[in-house]
Amino acid sequence: MADETVPAIRIQGLRKRYGAGDTAVDALKGVDMTVQRGEVVGLIGPSGSGKSTLLKCLGAVIEPSGGRMEIAGEAIYDEGWRIPDLRALRRDNIGFIFQAPYLISFLDVTDNVALLPMLAGVGNAAARDRARELLAALDVAHRATAQVSQLSGGEQQRVAIARALANRPPVILADEPTAPLDSERALAVVRILNGMAAQYRAAIIVVTHDEKIIPTFKRIYHIRDGRTHEEAGEGREP
Amino acid sequence: MINLAVRDILHGWGKFAFTGVGLGLLIGVTLSMAGIYRGMVEDATVLIEGSGADLWVVQQGTLGPYAEPSSLRDDVHHAIAGMPGVAAVGNAAYLTMQVGHAGVESRVMLVGFEPGRPGEPAFLVAGRPILRGHYEAVADEKAGLRVGDRVRIRRHEYEVVGLTRRMVSASGDPMLFVPLKDAQEVQFLKDNDTLVIERARTAANPAFNRPGVPGLLEAVQASQAQSRQVNSVLVRVAEGADPEEVAGEIRRWKRLQAYTTAQMEEILVAKLIATSSKQIGMFLVILSVVSAAIVAFIIYTLTVNKVREIAVLKLIGATNATIGGMILQQALGLGVIGFVVGRIVAGLWAPVFPKYVLLLPGDALRGFVLVMVICALASVVAIRAALRVDPAEAIGG
Repeated sequence: MADETVPAIRIQGLRKRYGAGDTAVDALKGVDMTVQRGEVVGLIGPSGSGKSTLLKCLGAVIEPSGGRMEIAGEAIYDEGWRIPDLRALRRDNIGFIFQAPYLISFLDVTDNVALLPMLAGVGNAAARDRARELLAALDVAHRATAQVSQLSGGEQQRVAIARALANRPPVILADEPTAPLDSERALAVVRILNGMAAQYRAAIIVVTHDEKIIPTFKRIYHIRDGRTHEEAGEGREP
Repeated sequence: MINLAVRDILHGWGKFAFTGVGLGLLIGVTLSMAGIYRGMVEDATVLIEGSGADLWVVQQGTLGPYAEPSSLRDDVHHAIAGMPGVAAVGNAAYLTMQVGHAGVESRVMLVGFEPGRPGEPAFLVAGRPILRGHYEAVADEKAGLRVGDRVRIRRHEYEVVGLTRRMVSASGDPMLFVPLKDAQEVQFLKDNDTLVIERARTAANPAFNRPGVPGLLEAVQASQAQSRQVNSVLVRVAEGADPEEVAGEIRRWKRLQAYTTAQMEEILVAKLIATSSKQIGMFLVILSVVSAAIVAFIIYTLTVNKVREIAVLKLIGATNATIGGMILQQALGLGVIGFVVGRIVAGLWAPVFPKYVLLLPGDALRGFVLVMVICALASVVAIRAALRVDPAEAIGG
């Protein structure tokens, strides 16, 4: 059982510089952020403020230029990567939800979710059991054998959420997960994320511009000019 | 672990199958080219084996009778027949020409032979052997003739009395066997106008038309109107005799060239069809390169169409080996489909080719390995492209 007192994510003074010399751009200038297990926080800011850069750094997709990042108390970056295998780090510790579901088109619904545990070495049967359990929790169990192309947009997004949770990661990064959805469906996705965060004790960071869902966050990080400012959200029921 | 390559193939099987069939047709052409070369070698071997000879005696300094013109007097065989180690001899005349049947001209190799001696058709698949001294023929079935058909050769009509099989020249023309005398006549026969002109020219030559030598002019003119030449004497050596030794004796004492079976095969394969085999070799190289380019292009296109999915796979932790393996397996899968289709179509269209196409299992195996290697190499470009995909592409911004 994970230690609930240890934050799922802790970021201190995170910096990211693109380029060098006169053309260098500081996308992140010292970001601080802490997210507890079971918590869903919003990350909002205008275009070019550094949201995606922060997400990519947190997702171990690009290397920061400095600072420190911890996941579940373990330093993954401290002025340099502390984990040699970043793919394994992403696979086991970070779930991703994208603006579009980006499911693997040639796999059916169950295998889209089961693929992650399988990549982590879980046996096929156990991985599919886990996938079916998650699909049931997200109300798409009836589509378990369907092809991705046969799903509605909302169903695809729920399968994508199930995939993000498949390896029970402590961190889930959601990049504009409600952008293509109407109000009702957007709020439904937030309800699901809140429920999953509570049920699976995952910290979820939701990058969004969506005015419909911003009032649902209890905590919000505003990012502007590469720096974050924390503020309390309204925490409305979605 | 899920086999991603198989799932992707099954998901888009129509596109994959059509691509495989297209590649298969190309591989079929490649296998057929190899089959044509094998067929040429086989034809040459059958030509030699089917003649029933151990030695070919031809004019000195020639590679005759199949590769170069050779001319011998038709009584030379008497002298050869008396040599030690010789069991049987037979004169043979060869001539490639057009023959007419039912208003259709076709190209054949006319073979003049002496029944019961080396050089006669090895076996018949229909009809009977030639029994009469003139105007009967045995045809290879590839000539499209049937027993009872009448074939026009120069001035005379020949009745087809028998059919044989797999008796074709080195260039693939079916053989038409006729009595030696007929073949000699066909080979050296001049038309009437030419004979009249030749006689007049001879008569005008004082050396042949001497007033004091009666009969000389007639003798010279008679010699010009007939032929006693053959192209080769085929020799069967006695049991226990060494063909090489007998050939050596003929070369030494009769001042003629004598080739053994091995030497004749060498002439046919290494010299006569050498240019054709190089031509086919070039085609094989070009077709292999084209196949590789097509596979590379197809696999690259399939991969590029999956860039977003590859980025997602990388982001969620799939290793390079998993992604590279998926692309490699797809390329090999395409190769397997292509090879199976290619082998099937090559077998189906082989009988339609005018030349004999021999598809050997060994060539098919070599072809399969080559296809797999080409597909593996062709997938390298796509694998490199896939490995360069940035997982960050899955995240916006």
